[in-house]
This record gives sequence, structure tokens and C-alpha cells, in this order.
Amino acid sequence: MIHTDILLSIARDFAIAFVVGVCWGVLFGTPKKVLIVAGLLGGLGHCLRFILLELDFGLIMATLTGSVAIGFIGIVAAHRVDNPPVVFTMPACITMIPGMYAYKTMLAGIKITDLSVVDDNPTILITMAHNLTLTMSLLFTLAIGICIAALLFRQTSVKEIEFAKKIERMTHFK
Amino acid sequence: MSDPKYDCAIVGDIPVKRFADLILDIGTFLLASGAHSGRVKSNITRMAITWGFDVNLQPTFKGLLVTVKSHCREDDTITMFKESPTHVVHLEVLTKVSHLSWKVYEENLSIEETENEFDKIKNMPHYNPWIVSVAVGFSCAGLCFFAFGDVFNALVAMCGAFMGSVFRYKIAALKYNQMISISIAAFITTMITGLGTVFAIGNYPEAAMATAVLYLIPGVPLINSVIDLIEGYLSSAVNRALFAGFILLCIAAGMTLSITLLGIDNFKL
Repeated sequence: MIHTDILLSIARDFAIAFVVGVCWGVLFGTPKKVLIVAGLLGGLGHCLRFILLELDFGLIMATLTGSVAIGFIGIVAAHRVDNPPVVFTMPACITMIPGMYAYKTMLAGIKITDLSVVDDNPTILITMAHNLTLTMSLLFTLAIGICIAALLFRQTSVKEIEFAKKIERMTHFK
Repeated sequence: MSDPKYDCAIVGDIPVKRFADLILDIGTFLLASGAHSGRVKSNITRMAITWGFDVNLQPTFKGLLVTVKSHCREDDTITMFKESPTHVVHLEVLTKVSHLSWKVYEENLSIEETENEFDKIKNMPHYNPWIVSVAVGFSCAGLCFFAFGDVFNALVAMCGAFMGSVFRYKIAALKYNQMISISIAAFITTMITGLGTVFAIGNYPEAAMATAVLYLIPGVPLINSVIDLIEGYLSSAVNRALFAGFILLCIAAGMTLSITLLGIDNFKL
């Protein structure tokens, strides 16, 4: 019973992230053929993050894992669909964008312009600093996921990465 | 890919100015479409190797500075700068230019053919603004679900994002400053979601407030800025971060205006 609940919520997470990934792809002008790849990668990364969050891994660790997974699978997928990986890893990673924390930072920022509010409730400064730091850290982890190829491999082009070529050969039926 | 593969008898008569013009065109267009500096460099280097040139680049946000030397005629060299067109994120350009540069590298395309191919890429259309607006609505609704909103919150977020996006494209088409169109879009979106908060639609209206403006977030410049930092293109990284930061400020300004109009006390942290 509990297992079906967990599976259902993971499937829901995947489905929503799929839609978000495809729609961000449209906004960023990703080619039509790889929109679906962007959606699948987004769904995969976000549901990995969701699972890790459920297992109490911490928000930043979970997001880092999700985006690095997107980055790695993106390298392999780039060989299959013959596109540079940024084209679909960018919309896929944006599904994990820290919107709520950015919004809270901004709302706290508006509120501290009024001195009487800060006098009444000084913790608002802490709220702002916390949310700002969290937003910046999460954005940084997303960027790491997207440029993981440049960080870990010495080739300037994803086309020349050996392990991706091997996986491509293993999964190709021709 | 450092081995000399050019043959001076075949490619030796390409004037450096013609080559510099072509790579400036390609490079600035890539920068404006959302490529990071490392991608611009690797795409241009592939062409330079094929045609026997040595290229050094200084990419910034607003333009591209290149110095081209010919390997075949040692004293033939040129330094040029070109301003980039208005920045509009269009990732399909990255795919097409990457394919073109690999074609040059692997199939030894001539410079005329490359120029013609690139003209085609330049005129490639973006998605229709209506389709983009609908997609934006759906994605903001999805993000609203992720922020623990219910169906009503998601509907409000969808409506706000759609309206804001339509106005953004309309104002951008009237050739106003990009920042004005973003501020107004943020204002309109927050007006709609803020009314949702004031009338308490759904059980967590803050989720709609926070997620409906996310379509304006400059995700590509922000992430490219970090990538440039990692790869060592500092001036470009600082430029992109400033640009993205200013867009964020414009979004915040638009949101602040509508939140204060609706009454700040209606919004809880």
C-alpha cells in the first residue's frame, strides 16, 4: 500500500517535470526533434531529486545529484540524437530552478525597506540571507550539472568523449 | 585535433578579412543565441584548423574581438571587433552551427558554401509567440505543483504566466527596451496571481505568486555565466552575470510595484 503511494508520487513528479522540461524547451527554442529528450531528461533528473529528498539527503545534495545525472545522460543522449547536449540539458535542469526561494528573498527585501517591520520582526533579515544563499547555491549546482562534460573530460567537444562513444555503440542496433 | 590538416595549395587564397568577417558573424550570432564562450571558441577553431588560420578570441557579452593569422602567409593578419545583435535565446542555432562547423572540419566545405549555409541558419524562425506563451503557461503551472500548490493555484499561475508572456512579446515587438518589456510582464503576471492571493484562490496562493514569474528568469545567461567562470572567460562571465542580475532586478521591480499596489500586508513570508 505504502509502496504504491510512493511509486505514484514519483510518477506524478516525473510527469510534471516532463511537461515543464518540454515547455522550457519551447521557450528556449530547442529543435522540435529533441524536445522530447529535454522532457525525459527533466523528468528523470527531477524525480531522482525527489527520491533523494524523500531519503533526507538535503536539498543542495539532491539537486546536485539530479543535475549531474542530467549532465551525464545528456552526454550519451547527445550522441544518439546528434545535437550538442546544452540544447536539452539546459531546459531539463531549469525544472529544478529555485523559484520559491528567490521569491521569498524578494518579498523579504521589499519588507525590510520599512523600518518598523524590521523592528517588529528582526528575523526577516535572517530569512532573506538564508533564502538568498540557498537560491545562489542551487543555481550554482544546476550550472555544474550542465557543464559536467567540460569539467570531467579533457575534450573540448562532447563528440570526442570515449565512454559516450562506447555506450552509443553498445545501444545501437545496426 | 591539433594536427595540420589544411593544404595551402587549396585553402591558401582565402583572404584573412573574409574569414574574420565570417567567424565574427557566426560568433556574435552564437553569443546572442545563448552559447557560452567555450562553445564559440571550439566551433570557430574547427573552421580555422580546416582553412589554415590561427584564431585568438576575446568574447564579451556585447561583442566579439578576434585576431586572425594565416598559416600560409605569415605576415597576413587582422584584428576585428563586431557587436553582437540583441540577445534572444534560441538553442536550435547552437545545434545548426555545431553541425556546420563539423561539416567544415570533416568534409572540407569551402568558404562560399559555409557562408551560404550560415545565411540559412540566420533566417531560421523561432517558435510562434502564441505557442511559446501557451508552453510558458503550462510550465509555470507545473512548477506551481512542485511548489506544493493545488490545482487552483496552478490555474492562476498558468493564466498569469500566459498573459504576461503575451504582453512581453507584444511590447518587445514594438521595439521598446528589453528591460521595460520584462518589468511590465512581471507586473501583469503578479497582478493576476496577486489578485488570486487577495481573493484566496486555492490553499497555497504563495506558490502561484512565486512560480508564475519564473518564465522571465534569465536562466541561460545565469548558467552560462557560471560556465564561463569555470572555463576562465572572466570578462564574459561578469558581463553575463550583470545582465542576468539586472533582469532579475527588473522582475523584482515589476513584482514590487504590483505587490505594493495590492497591499504588502496581504503577502506573508
